[in-house]
Amino acid sequence: MKNFIGIVGTNSDSSTNRLLLQFIQKHFTDKADIEICEIKNIPAFNKPTDKKAPIEVQKLADKITQADGVIISTPEYNHSIPATLKSTLEWLSYTSQPLIDKAVMITGASYGRLGSSRSQAHLRQILDAPELKARIMPSSEFLIGFSLQAFDEDGNLTDQKKIEELEERFNDFIQFVEITNQLVNINHSQKEKSQNFSWEGN
Amino acid sequence: MKIVGIVGSNADFSYNRLLLNFIAKQFKTLVDVEVLDIKDIPMFNQSDDQTNSAPIQHFNKKITEADGVIIATPEYNHSVPSALQSVIEWLSFKIHPLDGKPVMIVGASYDVQGSSRSQLHLRQILDAPGVNAVVMPGNEFLLGEVHKAFDEDENLKDPQTTQFLESCIKKFIRFINVVNVLNSPEGMKDVSSTEDLYATGSIDTTIEGIDMSADDWVEQAAKATKAVEGNTYVKLNRGILTVNQLNHFLNSMPAELTYADSNNQFLYYNHKLEAEDMLATRRPGQVGNPLAECHPERAFSSVAWVIQQLRNGKQDVVRTHVPTHGPDKYVVHSYQAIRDEDGNYLGINEYVQDIKPMIDWYLEQTGQQLTGGNVDAVSGATTKVDTVSSATVKG
Repeated sequence: MKNFIGIVGTNSDSSTNRLLLQFIQKHFTDKADIEICEIKNIPAFNKPTDKKAPIEVQKLADKITQADGVIISTPEYNHSIPATLKSTLEWLSYTSQPLIDKAVMITGASYGRLGSSRSQAHLRQILDAPELKARIMPSSEFLIGFSLQAFDEDGNLTDQKKIEELEERFNDFIQFVEITNQLVNINHSQKEKSQNFSWEGN
Repeated sequence: MKIVGIVGSNADFSYNRLLLNFIAKQFKTLVDVEVLDIKDIPMFNQSDDQTNSAPIQHFNKKITEADGVIIATPEYNHSVPSALQSVIEWLSFKIHPLDGKPVMIVGASYDVQGSSRSQLHLRQILDAPGVNAVVMPGNEFLLGEVHKAFDEDENLKDPQTTQFLESCIKKFIRFINVVNVLNSPEGMKDVSSTEDLYATGSIDTTIEGIDMSADDWVEQAAKATKAVEGNTYVKLNRGILTVNQLNHFLNSMPAELTYADSNNQFLYYNHKLEAEDMLATRRPGQVGNPLAECHPERAFSSVAWVIQQLRNGKQDVVRTHVPTHGPDKYVVHSYQAIRDEDGNYLGINEYVQDIKPMIDWYLEQTGQQLTGGNVDAVSGATTKVDTVSSATVKG
């Protein structure tokens, strides 16, 4: 049994990405314990000189540190991820850097046909920055297009093929978490180098 | 040329702010740059619409009124800062001031990359349909190792960097002009030759033998035609007024009126205000001029397009909103075709009005509200033509 956290990539009151994470949480109860984390109370990042994380950021950082892996579900705003998700990642990368070497799976849902394809590509590039240095599962895009029509009243995905695709991705992720953690244990020195990476000194 | 410079960081100290201040100072003979800070803009949240808050409306107004926008972005985590992203989200949610706006991207960073990756993300973001900015291609200005780049007077130390920046700014000025053509009704096609804007021909009513450009064209033409004035009666359909009454009547119209005949000669305006107090400036000496002398050459294509619409009967009126008088006014230029009983085109009645008081009155009387909050809802009903905004007073 794995311990994961799922991050809802928006501060919006209604979000099909939240629905998607709730579905994942419910659908895979026998495989993983998933806690869903909201980011709407995280203040806007403003690069404070004291480098101190607000309490909400610290709480999230602690949960990430303790989790075996992280699932981020992102909408797409203007071909990219929402500012509020970006702000959360900026805080994490600027303070305790809990995503370094953490296994991450990306999912996304959008109202249109494209299903957040471009925001997922941006999110990969962002998570790959040296200050975040997450271990993102490769070749594993999971997109939900027309997300307003994708769920039934009980919050279940209605398309059986999509559910099967999700099951494949999720099983891959469980394996990916195992492999990543082995790799990371061997490569301990790399981690220290990343943590020394400074926002301004580079 | 008015340019808005947006500092892409909300940090208290930002080299990107220094860079924009330097651009404003160094190139002030080329462009008029106003630098705007984003730190007062709240985090975007679609469940808490703050489009009408003062900081966002301030940005909306400044960008709408500007000829172009320069964004200076740092790089956080291989991308643009969330603070800048949030601003763009607000400006693409309920309002779209960047739509069709020429944008130039610059950036500074501590590392050697000089914001290379965030600039690419920013291009993709600005290209999203809700934003729809027109970003200048090429001319990438990356300022790496920025902590070593400025001297104590906050000037760029390296003259070659300054020179390259100047060439980028000059390209941007030309780019803005190209985008204006792109946004004109007929696109890249120059339709100025479809109209005789210099009024070289004549029609039945053209007053021959007088220099159209003369400041006293009205006086000369009045003498030549023995035009009546003062308390002489004129018979109209349907009524009789003296010339004085007619003048007072026209001056009492709730609009600035201009008559240009089918020969493209400017014959009349209801002169009651000084040029600087008008919504669309006119000076007494301009009357009699051919339309070509009332507009800069770059507007000729648009002017010709409007006249063609009216002359060929494709439209009876072409309207355009000219957003140069601030948020309290909504100035509309209407080009109304003047036709005779048989529908023959006689010329243009251009009337310029601030329609906001009328709309406010209507809403107050009926208790209705505009969806979307502001008078912005009206803009959908207008045709966008950039003719009058560029009409200048010559001489």
